[in-house]
Amino acid sequence: MKHRNRVSAAAIAVALLGVAPSGRAAELEPPPEGLSARDVAIELEDVFRGQTSYFEGTMIIHSPRLPEPRRVGLKSWDDRPNKRSFIRITAPPKDKGMAFLKLHPNLWNYIPRVERTVRIPPSMMLQSWMGSDFSNDDLVRESSQIDDYQHRWLGVDPAPDHPESERAYVIEYVPNEDAPVVWGRIVTWIDVARTAPLRQEFFDEDGEKVRVLSYSSFAKTGRPYPHRWSMVPLDKEGHETAFEVDVVRFDEEYPDSIFTKRNLTRRDAP
Amino acid sequence: MTTVLRLAWRNVWRNPRRTGLTVAATVFAVYLVVVFVAMADGSHSKMIEDSVRIQSGHVQLAADGYLENRTLEYFLEVDDTIEKALASAPEVEAWAPRVNSAALLSFGASTQGAILIGVDPEREARVSTLFDRVSAGAFLPAGQERSLVLGEQLAKNLGAELGDEILLYSMAYTLQNAYELFVLTGTLKLPDASLERGLAVVTLADAQEFLAYDNRVSEIALRTGSARQVPALTRELEAALAGASGVRVHPWNEVMPEIEQFIIVDDAGMYIMLLILVIVVGFGILNTILMSVMERQQEFGAMLALGLRPSRIFAMVYAESMMLAVVGLGIGLALAYPTVLWFIGHPIPLTGEGMEAMAQLVAMEPVMTFELRETTLPGATITILGVAALAAFYPAVKASRARPVDALRSL
Repeated sequence: MKHRNRVSAAAIAVALLGVAPSGRAAELEPPPEGLSARDVAIELEDVFRGQTSYFEGTMIIHSPRLPEPRRVGLKSWDDRPNKRSFIRITAPPKDKGMAFLKLHPNLWNYIPRVERTVRIPPSMMLQSWMGSDFSNDDLVRESSQIDDYQHRWLGVDPAPDHPESERAYVIEYVPNEDAPVVWGRIVTWIDVARTAPLRQEFFDEDGEKVRVLSYSSFAKTGRPYPHRWSMVPLDKEGHETAFEVDVVRFDEEYPDSIFTKRNLTRRDAP
Repeated sequence: MTTVLRLAWRNVWRNPRRTGLTVAATVFAVYLVVVFVAMADGSHSKMIEDSVRIQSGHVQLAADGYLENRTLEYFLEVDDTIEKALASAPEVEAWAPRVNSAALLSFGASTQGAILIGVDPEREARVSTLFDRVSAGAFLPAGQERSLVLGEQLAKNLGAELGDEILLYSMAYTLQNAYELFVLTGTLKLPDASLERGLAVVTLADAQEFLAYDNRVSEIALRTGSARQVPALTRELEAALAGASGVRVHPWNEVMPEIEQFIIVDDAGMYIMLLILVIVVGFGILNTILMSVMERQQEFGAMLALGLRPSRIFAMVYAESMMLAVVGLGIGLALAYPTVLWFIGHPIPLTGEGMEAMAQLVAMEPVMTFELRETTLPGATITILGVAALAAFYPAVKASRARPVDALRSL
């Protein structure tokens, strides 16, 4: 009790001295001079996604509708420079062999049980992907957080409310006028020490915060990649979708044969 | 008093041509008011009936929050409480449970988004007119599992023919991917173009299985005799379902507020036009009476000089004006009433592309119907008498204030 009193006294002293006190996002320190917000965003994207990436993991969907969380196993290949990606569902058994292929600007979905390939129309891009709180658009990243946005400093958060971070850059992403984007803006927290993504808050066009995507379990060595993601939609109580990443590899060359409609139907091939 | 009335009656006919014109104007106004109101009420009722019967039902039961969100999250289970409540309301002629969801339909290389509804064919036939709109094939034939009926345009856009297997793709209540092949057994010709290219109908049981929805339903649509019973029925059901938490009773105008808004705007336009007409008639009466009062200044002066009280003169002039109105009103109603009755029996078919397009816009058959509400004739009567009463006031005051001296001097 005594200790806490001392802390709050210190906070008041700090506030009186004109330095931002800890705890609240509103009380940010000024951004570092000479560093552009856009450069930080670009660096983050490189750390987080690389040029190409391979990924194995599990998506865990929590919902009040479900007696227990639904777990979906998947592998994904993402080739950023060529704007193409491929996802294969590996579990549960009912969905095993389903596959998604994005060849910009198209998205196809292969359903093994009925042996049909469906092209997902653009109007469905914002619909839920596999019942999760991620949309089809999140998955295929039709928009780019670098090319489709302007980046603006909000400041430096000295206490970013994250167990793995001491200080975070806070940058606001504002979409370009003609960008194919549904968000009004995105506020991104980026760990200062490692340029790792901590959290993204998505606001709609009315300025309402609609969902929060947070990242944790960063790799201890090498690239500070978050091995756990969590998407929480704020308008749907009790919903959360988490990703647990088992394997992730960056900047490998992939054969073109992966990104083909033919590959969609090859259930057991990569 | 009878003397005053007799005098007034004679005075009215002292200038038959002028009186005749005023009466004609009144007849015209009454006739137009009654016929126009009956026409508007009729087409509005028809608009409500038609759109209610295509989809929403006169009244809908749904879970609290369903109407705003329209997702599988919000559902009802047809239990004893609901069945008893529906059985207890005599206005309920039929009811039908439905499951609504969004779905992708895929056939060949074509994919289309649609609203998927699951209906109980037997119950649905008694509530909505979907069944009457089959343009090819059959509406969900009994005993055939996974049959599918599409809006004609939707089937065309997919390039699918009767008998083809179409992939339905959606998200189940359990958040799993739902996909299933359905056989196209029929197409629907719908008055609403957006519905025709975006409606897919399957049986309730198939929809519940497809969406892993167990025995849940999205809504229960009710049909009553007419839209006018809706407010009473809504109150009744709300009372009967007070115990069932989370069940909301929505009258059609909550489900389709755009139709009610259209009617309000349309009514406003019509009533403004009729108001202008009635005001013009009011000035016509005012003009007639005022002219006759001006001509008869000496007469009033003489009557006053003979000892008639000003209030008697006021009453007499007032009575003249009301007589004009009553005669006009009587003839007007006598003409309008049979006209409206005839049109109620013989709706006017609307032809021409413009009218048909407009009718489609509000999901209406292109035919103009009439309806005579019990308020229409009394309303017209009160309006015309009220206007006449207002118009008569100034001339009557002027007459009662005639000065005997002026009158006698001018003799």
